[in-house]
Amino acid sequence: MEGEPSLILFSLAVAALATALILPLGVAVAYGLSRWQGAGKGLVETLVSLPLVLPPTAVGLVLLEVLSRGSPLGRALDALGVEVVFTPKAVVLASAIMAFPLLVRAARSGFEEVDPRLVAVARTLGDSRTRAFFRVTLPLAWRGLLTGTLLAFSRALGEFGATVLVAGNIPGRTQTLALAIFHRTQLGQDAEAFRLAGIATLIAFVAIYATELLSRRRGARARA
Amino acid sequence: MMELSLTLPLARFPLQVEARFTSASVAVMGRSGSGKTSLLEALAGLRRGARGRLVVGERVLLDSEAGINASPEARHMGYVPQDSLLFPHLSARENVRFGVRKGRPSRVDEAVALLELEPLLHRYPATLSGGERQRVALARALATAPALLLLDEPLAALDVALKERVLPYLLRVRDEAHVPMLYVTHQLGEARVLAQEALLLEEGRVRAVGPADTVLGAAARGMLGLEGEENILEGVLERPSEGGVRLRVAEGLSLWVPEGPELVAGARVAYAVLAEDVLLSVAPLTGISARNVLRGTVRRVEEAGVGDRVLTVDVGVPLAVRVTGAAVRELGVALGHTVFLAVKTSACRRLR
Repeated sequence: MEGEPSLILFSLAVAALATALILPLGVAVAYGLSRWQGAGKGLVETLVSLPLVLPPTAVGLVLLEVLSRGSPLGRALDALGVEVVFTPKAVVLASAIMAFPLLVRAARSGFEEVDPRLVAVARTLGDSRTRAFFRVTLPLAWRGLLTGTLLAFSRALGEFGATVLVAGNIPGRTQTLALAIFHRTQLGQDAEAFRLAGIATLIAFVAIYATELLSRRRGARARA
Repeated sequence: MMELSLTLPLARFPLQVEARFTSASVAVMGRSGSGKTSLLEALAGLRRGARGRLVVGERVLLDSEAGINASPEARHMGYVPQDSLLFPHLSARENVRFGVRKGRPSRVDEAVALLELEPLLHRYPATLSGGERQRVALARALATAPALLLLDEPLAALDVALKERVLPYLLRVRDEAHVPMLYVTHQLGEARVLAQEALLLEEGRVRAVGPADTVLGAAARGMLGLEGEENILEGVLERPSEGGVRLRVAEGLSLWVPEGPELVAGARVAYAVLAEDVLLSVAPLTGISARNVLRGTVRRVEEAGVGDRVLTVDVGVPLAVRVTGAAVRELGVALGHTVFLAVKTSACRRLR
């Protein structure tokens, strides 16, 4: 019961931050994959989707190894005085990595729905490549981008396996809603666990329902 | 007006076009897959593989030897694709204004007036009819004050009734907007009525190029197959003393056309007659309600899908007549035979 509001806020903040972090790169990768026809496309696609099918604990293990003081990256971070493992940063990082494939996949199908010839027409009307992207491609792919963002956010909110390995399950420091549910169950506090599960359900419901409403309203305008 | 010498590798053959045009309206014709659309896209700068030279007006847009290759946005071409390709997330108004830039001339008001778009401006593309979309797409291209309009079969996606409603707008664009146009079509009738010069493409190569009258003759018809069974007849209006209005197409060839107060004698106009609206007879036609009865010689008999035949009958000008294969057999019509054609006055539809 105690600390519940801060637990919820922390979980929401972590999920939002993780989503915001991967958005620029995720959109760029999704766009690249939707337009690029060259060799090696399948390989990149597979690599991007890998965290989706791997056991999250495996991803967590790799992250832990890469960030630990024994690795070059870990040493570099240590020299800069940046601590990641077992801190909130690790929670954000683990959630971001696990959410990335979902964002890319949904955003990519959004971009694939945009007829490249519409962009060609925009070019003949005086738009540079970049300008055409922002005036034509992006507004037309918004449905996929919205879905991808929501999926990424939800995935980040529910992240457990990778987080628990790289960030631990430290109440008041790295514990999120998902980790807390597990924690309460372990402690035999089933009623508490159910309360938290209920809250998680509510958040997920609101997020998806809001997206549905938004999606329908904007879609209706384009069709009306 | 323009000079081009282009090569572009395509999937089945290379596109190789060399031509020089001096008039303000050029038709590009050829069968499907002959490279027409690729040519247009190369002109618009949308095909990176295009090599050679392209000069429009005074501007050199492509000169591979000199390392010049203007980007699509720098070419100032008004590109109108076959299926309009309006931006679905923008209203008609926003579509028309899409290419308007500060510091560049724009002709939005003129384009809206010319294509009569005022009542449509608040609507979204999804709610517009095919013909309305094409008018918006035309206005969108015109509004940027382009150096050249590139029209890719602007009427092909429309049914016959809509075609008639859009064609007059194209003629207005040609005659009033003073923007040179290059017009891709596989409809001979459209090309004849719109273009002063023509280019025939076959498998990526120029088969013929020159004045429309010469290029779009009988040879073109054979090469292009049987598309464009609409007869387009241009001529001068006459008002004979006995009343009514006649279109004088050639010496000794006049057609009665529907009466209209705006039709003044001496005006140069064009009418369309569908090939299936022409009645064929092997015997002289008498006691028939159709007022236009023409006598001619069968010059060509061609298959036209689903068992139909299209006959080209020379009545002073070539006229396409569409009949069923069964009718051709029963009547015993063959090349060189003299036949009689009847065209109802109401089958002549004015284009401009």
